Amino acid sequence: MLKLFNLVFISSYLFSGVAVGHHSFTSEFTAEKVITLHGDIQQVWFRNPHVRYLLSVKTSEEESVTWDLRGSPVVWLARKGWTKDIISLGDKVIVEGYPGHDGRKMLSIIKVTLSDGTVLIDRAPE
Amino acid sequence: MKNLNFFIRVITLLIPCCILQANEFDFEGRWILSLQDKKRTLIGLLEIEKNDQAWVAYLEGGPVEINIKQNQIEILADSRDVRGFVFNRRLTGFLVNKQIQGRYQQEGAAAQKEEPGPWSAVRDRKHKSTTNLPKIPKPEEISGIWTATQELDFRKYSMSLTQEGKDWLEQYLPYYDQPDVRCTSIGLPALVTYSFPFEIIFSNGRYTFLYEYQSKVRRIWANTESPGSFMPPSRMGFSKGVWEGNELVIKTQLLEKTVRDFRGELISENAIIEERYSLSEDGQTLTALIIVDDPDNYQRKPIRRRQWVRNASTEIFPYSCDPDSFYIPMYQDGEMQMYIDRSPLRF
Repeated sequence: MLKLFNLVFISSYLFSGVAVGHHSFTSEFTAEKVITLHGDIQQVWFRNPHVRYLLSVKTSEEESVTWDLRGSPVVWLARKGWTKDIISLGDKVIVEGYPGHDGRKMLSIIKVTLSDGTVLIDRAPE
Repeated sequence: MKNLNFFIRVITLLIPCCILQANEFDFEGRWILSLQDKKRTLIGLLEIEKNDQAWVAYLEGGPVEINIKQNQIEILADSRDVRGFVFNRRLTGFLVNKQIQGRYQQEGAAAQKEEPGPWSAVRDRKHKSTTNLPKIPKPEEISGIWTATQELDFRKYSMSLTQEGKDWLEQYLPYYDQPDVRCTSIGLPALVTYSFPFEIIFSNGRYTFLYEYQSKVRRIWANTESPGSFMPPSRMGFSKGVWEGNELVIKTQLLEKTVRDFRGELISENAIIEERYSLSEDGQTLTALIIVDDPDNYQRKPIRRRQWVRNASTEIFPYSCDPDSFYIPMYQDGEMQMYIDRSPLRF
């Protein structure tokens, strides 16, 4: 069961909330699907112009694959209480977002769920 | 009861009569289009023309697909959502009593999902939509911190480009050529249309706009007619603001070359950007119409609309920028030489 938990769960579904960002990643990401990744944080870049995390994800063959997670600018996230120390190296997280085009291991973050159940949402004000 | 039946009969006869009265040529001209999303109302300038026996149309200065048959109309307009994903809205409707009315629905994948909803269009009265407010504010009344809403702006995606504009866009690489990913100022008009808060300060006959995004400062002169000698072109240009009734009209020239938004359409050094700001009667809502006049690159003037609400409970946050998150992955992916080779295409 634990192994199963460590597997990559990629589920596509339509996202129905108001999501956000400030400028485009159209060239980098696709809105055709939303995927969910389970993994460990490898690297944290909490800086403008874009917050970036590297996430280590285990495949079904037990290989580690690194995903490049991209978020909004620091000012955008900080206003929502999403600060530098809220996600640290080694943290186990579940991330939902728009994947990169052509199978690129990139993800535009919609939502991060921390191991204590805290949910961080990368979205604009209503 | 008899009277009621008679009334219903008359109305039933009149409705198709009115519908039949409209013909294709009644669609021609400028309309103000209003579209009702579940949470907001979008406003846009719709221009319909007959060109070589075919109908052509433009929304906010950008081309849309259009079909007209008798009193029926269908429009397909592209847009991009706040994450930058491009989608379409399909609008269908009828012209009845000099007004177009119908329903629209979203097509294509987008982060912001829209439920099908109503739309309508009435004849344009030459940009008077924001000037019918009774109150003329004092200059200092627009001072304060303003937070963007998602009202009004159609975020029309494609624009009507000149050949020069098309040639430029064809070679532009979004992301790699964007100024902001390498922490360079995006300048005007993009900065005005971004969703980050900004602050207006009025003092000594000038407005100072403090934009949170990229921590940019912009000066709008109220008493100075033209830029000082040797003032260099810049991403903010030289802005002159005058009150016309209840609108603060800002015209900006002396711009440095930049791109209109992430898509990479060019803004030339000859561009003039007009912004028309108006304040709601209660002083809590600020609205802007933003028009780009750049004949070098655009056959029609691109239009954006923005709305902000006064927000005393926030502050403009500092914005420091480190382009490592752009350069290092590019180096790791072996794209650095490509980036260097493209240097002449960036500014």
